[in-house]
Amino acid sequence: MAEVKAGRAATAALLAQLAADLGASLLDAVSAADMDEAVIVAAGLLPAVDAVRANGFNLLLDIGATDHHPLTPRFEISYHFLALPEDAVAGSIPSSGVVPARFRLRVFPDDRDPVVPSLCGRWPNADWPEREVYDLFGVRFDGHPDLRRILMPDDWEGYPLRKDYPLRGLNRRFNPGGLPGPVPPVVTK
Amino acid sequence: MSATDLSIFENERDLTAQPGDERDTLVLSMGPQHPSTHGVLRVMLRLDGETVVTADPEIGFLHTGIEKQAENLFWQQAVTVVDRADYLAPLSNSLCYVLAAEKLLGIQNIPPRAQVLRVMFAELTRIASHLVQLGTHAMDLGAQSIFMYAFEMRERILEIMEFVTGARMHQSWFRIGGLAIDVPKGFLDKMDDFIGRFPERLSDIRAILEKNIIIMDRLIGVGKMTAHEAVEWGMTGPILRASGVAYDVRKAFPYSGYETYDFDICTRTSGDSYARFVVRLDEMYEAWRIIKQAREKFPDGPVTIDDRKILPPPKTEIQHSMEALIHHFKLVSSGFNVPEGHIYQAVESPRGELGMYVTSAGGNKPWRVRWRPPSFYNLQALRKLAPGNLVADVVAIIGSLDPVFGEVDR
Repeated sequence: MAEVKAGRAATAALLAQLAADLGASLLDAVSAADMDEAVIVAAGLLPAVDAVRANGFNLLLDIGATDHHPLTPRFEISYHFLALPEDAVAGSIPSSGVVPARFRLRVFPDDRDPVVPSLCGRWPNADWPEREVYDLFGVRFDGHPDLRRILMPDDWEGYPLRKDYPLRGLNRRFNPGGLPGPVPPVVTK
Repeated sequence: MSATDLSIFENERDLTAQPGDERDTLVLSMGPQHPSTHGVLRVMLRLDGETVVTADPEIGFLHTGIEKQAENLFWQQAVTVVDRADYLAPLSNSLCYVLAAEKLLGIQNIPPRAQVLRVMFAELTRIASHLVQLGTHAMDLGAQSIFMYAFEMRERILEIMEFVTGARMHQSWFRIGGLAIDVPKGFLDKMDDFIGRFPERLSDIRAILEKNIIIMDRLIGVGKMTAHEAVEWGMTGPILRASGVAYDVRKAFPYSGYETYDFDICTRTSGDSYARFVVRLDEMYEAWRIIKQAREKFPDGPVTIDDRKILPPPKTEIQHSMEALIHHFKLVSSGFNVPEGHIYQAVESPRGELGMYVTSAGGNKPWRVRWRPPSFYNLQALRKLAPGNLVADVVAIIGSLDPVFGEVDR
């Protein structure tokens, strides 16, 4: 797979820069099977993202979350980036298509107060996925301009994709078939 | 909210009178039942006369918790729920999921017949999905008959799907380790018939629509997006290619043997709704080319890997072999375990880069299946594309973005 190797060369420089820029904020740098990835602390996210962007990763593919409960730290926020070569974006279209690279950042925020800096100032498309993570996991994004629920109703109680949230929901006024359970704590904005 | 709670009206009044606004604006709630919103989208439009000042899409009306359900099913069972996300291209979803699970399991020896059939059906799905987009988009613009032409063509594809998998939609035909069943007798005749007829039908539609003065009038210059903006907003698929960036997952990160097929990436440079419309027309032709090549190389052989720990043995073997019966019982009652790990797998769905970030904790159920739904990101850009256009153009822009709400809301 020549494409994958070319992509890996692009991320090697990025990993070196992340190690230099972040220092102790960089917890781990892994060359995983699908793409290179870096594990960083939440406070180091914005400098890391700036380094990612400076290395040509111009498209924010996805922001997602995973709940590792009962393990700690339980929340993982994963950022996927794609590097489209600048000449391809500028309009010169290679007939064989562009050879891009992908990169992943993983952040494990604090369990008691899960909060991560928002990327809305860097990419406009970070808005909705961050709202979705807030909606379904209750992780806050510091600096998000409009952090409110997106998929669930505005008055929903609890964060459905957390592992301690039952599949059929909690027994509430609109959900008599759900399991009995305590009212989950509300994450304030 | 109780019946006497009138706070919703107060909110609306607040929205209309923006402090500091010189002109009066009107807030119009478009949808969620509006036919041109393709299902269940509500757009809060703030209008100055007939010009859109801001457009704020509201989503979530079709949220069914597919990601939560996938976490509560065995690895193999989850194929049936991932199909439900993008209901116009179900096989793209399950292809992405089974590829991710196969990578986590380390399965690399998918038989060639299964690979070819996967590609063939993924491309059939692409044509069917683009035909729905084309028909409904044209109907939004006032061309009623194209809808019938497009759906008649799609019907031929759904007939093949039903013939092979037993279901018109939500086929759930791909399995971790291959396919659910082999194609029945007479499949190749049906494919030959389809391959022979399709180009003519497509050129009919092209002839009616491509240089149609009404279509050109309604779409050219509407919802323009430069390449840099498209990258900035995370657009993928036909929308990114219509802005001039030749990025296609099938070429950039090939899967299922796409590197062995000869096809072109269709691009346009103007980046407006018309360019997206033409890119989709071109893509249908390229998909047909891929199907034709898949038909030519169609190999013999099995359609599943020979691994009793992943897929159950054939029925004939169960009837006389105790070991086969035990394997079957284990797979049905407790599934199989997948080694710990996480992986990002992407496929080129008809709407763009469909990614899945799958995490396994080593158990018999996926720990987490995170979608990267292309429609979700594409629709988000409506906030960028709609302002400055007329209300009628918002309908054209939504149609050209081609959102599928099963996938946006999951």
